[in-house]
Amino acid sequence: MTPRLFWHVCGVEARKRMSYRVDFWLSSIGGFLAQLGVAYFIVLALFHGSGRPTIGGFTFQGMILYYAAVILLGRVVRGTEADQTIAQDIYEGGLTRYLLYPTSYTVFKYAQNVGTLVPALLQLFLLGAWFPLALGTPEGARITGASIAMGVGASVLASVLYFLLVWPIQAIAFWADNVWSLMLAHRILANLMGGLLVPLTLFPEWAQRALALLPFPLLFAFPVDALLGRLDLHQWLKGIALGLLWCTALIVIGRAVWRRGDRRYAGVGI
Amino acid sequence: MIDVENLGKTFSVHAKEPGLKGSLKALFRRQVVTKPAVRDVRFHVDEGEIVGLVGANGAGKTTLVKMLAGIIYPTAGDARVLGFRPWERDNRFRRQIALIMGQKAQLWWDLPAEDCFLLLKEIYQIPQDRYRAALDELATLLEVRTLLNIQIRRLSLGERMKMELIAALLHRPRVVYLDEPTIGLDLTAQRAIRDFILRYREEHRPAMIVTSHYMEDIERLCRRILILREGELVFDGSLEKVVRTYAEHKVVTAHLARTENGAPVSSDVERLGQIELCNDVTIRLRVERARVAEVAAELLRRYPVADIAIEEIDIGTIIERIQRARQEVRT
Repeated sequence: MTPRLFWHVCGVEARKRMSYRVDFWLSSIGGFLAQLGVAYFIVLALFHGSGRPTIGGFTFQGMILYYAAVILLGRVVRGTEADQTIAQDIYEGGLTRYLLYPTSYTVFKYAQNVGTLVPALLQLFLLGAWFPLALGTPEGARITGASIAMGVGASVLASVLYFLLVWPIQAIAFWADNVWSLMLAHRILANLMGGLLVPLTLFPEWAQRALALLPFPLLFAFPVDALLGRLDLHQWLKGIALGLLWCTALIVIGRAVWRRGDRRYAGVGI
Repeated sequence: MIDVENLGKTFSVHAKEPGLKGSLKALFRRQVVTKPAVRDVRFHVDEGEIVGLVGANGAGKTTLVKMLAGIIYPTAGDARVLGFRPWERDNRFRRQIALIMGQKAQLWWDLPAEDCFLLLKEIYQIPQDRYRAALDELATLLEVRTLLNIQIRRLSLGERMKMELIAALLHRPRVVYLDEPTIGLDLTAQRAIRDFILRYREEHRPAMIVTSHYMEDIERLCRRILILREGELVFDGSLEKVVRTYAEHKVVTAHLARTENGAPVSSDVERLGQIELCNDVTIRLRVERARVAEVAAELLRRYPVADIAIEEIDIGTIIERIQRARQEVRT
């Protein structure tokens, strides 16, 4: 796929997403406030119950800022509906039209996925920019030009990684008609082990060591930590290298699954 | 342009016994049934030719078209389209073919038609001047110039089909597969689509394969037909030859002016041909081809005929006869 086509697909998808105004504002403000509200009360209860000034290296303020950042960045990483579109295309026969085009289906889908991120990016800027100003920068966090650049790089990697993790799982739709339950399991695992549900520093030491080898922390905790200036350059480079390794492995797995599944595709009906 | 050699496709499908017991059993052990959809098919299509692919539901028409478009893999045989194996999906091949499926929308539902076309322009890497010329020509021929900025989902079925045709032909494919292109359309829209296909064929000479259940599509568009029955190619030849071989009769219908004489006497009419309908306003007879002129003249002489029509037997009936004849030969 040419870069020109890639960006054209992204643009079309973004326009499509933003043509539904009510949906955009509901998910921007309503969705974000609901998620942050839940996080706020959990964190409040946590600090109140423990009576400690810091938990897992976070102050109360720091943890709220972490949740605000991870909720907004999580949307950027996941896109709005990357979870099901490939499986749906296989199940409903939508894949047919893409197989006719002289371009890669998977890259096309990723370009569409990037297009769906545009509203999430807008939400990030609209809601996220003033957050550190309102709350102040808590201890341990230091948002600078360099941290923003590292956060952007880590987010790009996380977006590709998330898509590559989802791709082979969705390709199981070539064999099983419904992969919804698998996707749900993936989502829960990724959210929990990626640091979207709770900061990873709250996990026991052994679990943190095991998680450090998996791709999940690179999805949410890594870009947030990079953005909030909690990582030095060495840690950041190590994370990026691990992410690239996982991307390569997932491309190999995804292609193998896809090639086998593709032979079973019937395009709905006989 | 299209060469098909002993092509076959067998699907493995899961069978499940009915009822709760069957569902529970299927959770642990499923019965796999192989279903041959296309068997040992061979034919050739030339440039500028429109070939009709006909057969009953489940005969394998769409499966065959999907294999030739490279969407699904065959389980036997081989095919070359423009020198390529379709299922290898070489981009040079994909740039030269189009598939229009009347039952399945290919365009992006939420986008205006022109946005879809612009996306296709990028996908097929069509140069701007060629894109403009193609879009102008197609939109004018199909009379949809004023609808290009409307979201696809807000268009009528006929208008959407026209947009699908434009989308499929923008890159000037050399091979076009039309799978039920007029399904669900009203008569006017059906006629418009058929006229358009014929004009497009005249101007650009692509090879076309058309599947349709509407016999008027086949009669208007195709000189040659392929008949599939349970996945097997049972006939490949000219439509005219089929009609001559399997339709020894024509249908002569005379519409009578109202008189006080009442209905014609059946025994008199019977001598002219096999009666399909006979009352005080209509006489419809099945008449041997060689006697058609004589019978028509006799009807005009004997009865107060206001209008007369001589028609071939419906192609659907002819196909049924071919299939029945093959079955009898087998048994």
